Amino acid sequence: MSTLRLRGDLPERVDLLNITPLALSGLSEAEAGRLAIGTSRRGLTLGDAFDISLDGSDSLVIEGGSSRLDRVGAALSQGSIRVEGDVGQRLGEGMAAGTLTVTGSAGPYAGTGATGGTITVEGDAGDHAGGAVYAAKAGLDGATLVIKGAAGDGLGDRMRRGIILAGSAGTYAGSRMIAGTIVVSGALGDHPGYGMRRGTLIAGSHGALLPTFVETGTPDLVFVRLLAQSLKRLGAAQAGLLGGTLRRYSGDLATLGKGELFVTA
Amino acid sequence: MAAWVKGGAADVDAAVEAAADLLAASRVPVLAGLSAEVSALRAAYRLAETLGASLDPVSGPSVYAELGALSAGGAMTTTRAETIGRADVVLILGNRPWDGDLIAEIAEAAPSRGRAAGGERALLSLGGPQNGATRHVAYAAEAGGLAVSLGHLRAFAKGHLAGEAAYADLARRLYAAQYGVVVYDPEEVGELGVEMLQGLIRDLNESTRFFALTLADPFQGRAAVQLSAWTTGQAPRVGFGRHQPEHDPWRFDSARQIAAGEADAALWLASLPAPRPAWLGSLPTVAIVGEGSPEAAGETAEIVITVGVPGQNVGGALWNERRGVIAYTEPKAATDAQTAAGVLARIRDRLIEKGVSC
Repeated sequence: MSTLRLRGDLPERVDLLNITPLALSGLSEAEAGRLAIGTSRRGLTLGDAFDISLDGSDSLVIEGGSSRLDRVGAALSQGSIRVEGDVGQRLGEGMAAGTLTVTGSAGPYAGTGATGGTITVEGDAGDHAGGAVYAAKAGLDGATLVIKGAAGDGLGDRMRRGIILAGSAGTYAGSRMIAGTIVVSGALGDHPGYGMRRGTLIAGSHGALLPTFVETGTPDLVFVRLLAQSLKRLGAAQAGLLGGTLRRYSGDLATLGKGELFVTA
Repeated sequence: MAAWVKGGAADVDAAVEAAADLLAASRVPVLAGLSAEVSALRAAYRLAETLGASLDPVSGPSVYAELGALSAGGAMTTTRAETIGRADVVLILGNRPWDGDLIAEIAEAAPSRGRAAGGERALLSLGGPQNGATRHVAYAAEAGGLAVSLGHLRAFAKGHLAGEAAYADLARRLYAAQYGVVVYDPEEVGELGVEMLQGLIRDLNESTRFFALTLADPFQGRAAVQLSAWTTGQAPRVGFGRHQPEHDPWRFDSARQIAAGEADAALWLASLPAPRPAWLGSLPTVAIVGEGSPEAAGETAEIVITVGVPGQNVGGALWNERRGVIAYTEPKAATDAQTAAGVLARIRDRLIEKGVSC
């Protein structure tokens, strides 16, 4: 297990795009220390900010978090990264495979464009978790994103495939969804599913509902039971939600209208 | 022309020197405001490149409400002149379009060119102030706001919802148009709403002609978008910290950077009037402001330098909303005032002499 121990407060935002177990496996600690991670003209390096201990393994632990740690685990393709603390924006951006765990909270755009692997945020996630960044075609794109705490606004905005689990979510959850599944054990904020084309939103309750979602009854679907089975190991609270009766709404009729919102009846 | 350093009157040379010192000492400088003529914007982007700073126009929320939707799905737009010449149906969204003289001008004329020539012009409003000065058919917005209303309207327009609702009637009127135009302010409608509206316009274009006429922000944001595009290839919120222009609307939101304590120095550029930011005075700042503006005073910032106001006492290329282009504006009464571009170039020259280079 390789370790990066944060020395103190970061003087600027840092970009950890290139700091993965695979990238570090062929480097000596001195070489790793010279990797550029800063975002200002001062040229901050990995060695400036972290005490580095490498053993060539495929697991990396970042001890001490900061909301200025951007793109942690971005483009991760194998192995695991665990952050003991908070992270900044774009956690696991474009990640293809592997395991990414944050014990604190994440900034905005967690899991954006991630195509595979599992991202777990034990605290809260900022706005647009699993959502698309500026000009991107899609948000979460096949990976699994588990947020144990609360997610901010725009959860899963323009999400294309994959699963998001969260404890609660802010306004406009599942906006512009192309496809995929979002299960929130608690409450969604106002206007969930704005502009969603396809995809499934499941929640314990919701705020103001859009006039373009119509109720379609309380169907007993085999799909829901299968989903509950598959979610058991990821989130007991979310899987438990699926055991009860769910009221189904169809929308967003402003667009394709093939999306659905299930809420505890 | 006047300048102040730490509240005391100073000559411009000393203020430029102090500004270069202040910026050279910073780690994460931001250049904000950017309410200025094109030559000053260009000088600001050059200064940012030298300094490794990021830029953020005060018009950011308006610019990105429009660009966010444009970058995702494109947009079908028209101009003010085309609207006045061709439109037989004009839908006015929200309150902001009613502020200027645009709606009155549209209401006074009838279509004179194209498919609807010789016909009448119908004005419709959605979520507007419903004043009686201009004859129009008013539809109320949903409680959820304009974005929710636009979704609801689009569902009727698509035929996914039916019935005798007000929006069903509005949708029928839109489809009956020969050349329709929707007038709106992107910031008021919001990014999600703009994207929904552009989807509605695409739907309408399946059977008729329909376009958007978007109102520009009043702080030269459209000019900044164009200048940033031809200078950096990106939208305005770019940073040069890593020797190349990086675009990130969240990271380079100057209000966020300053509130989070990330930025440690700022340059506020407003040769044209711009709303004074709440953070002015909370971190070391160089303010380059128009002569005679309320900010032209020693207490505005650590260093204050006044410059000519484009269109007033100096000439400058500005966004012309009527024509929808950048156009040169003559000064009303030319003086020998220094220009914002000149001051920014002098600060940059001093930084280069000091060996600051990104």
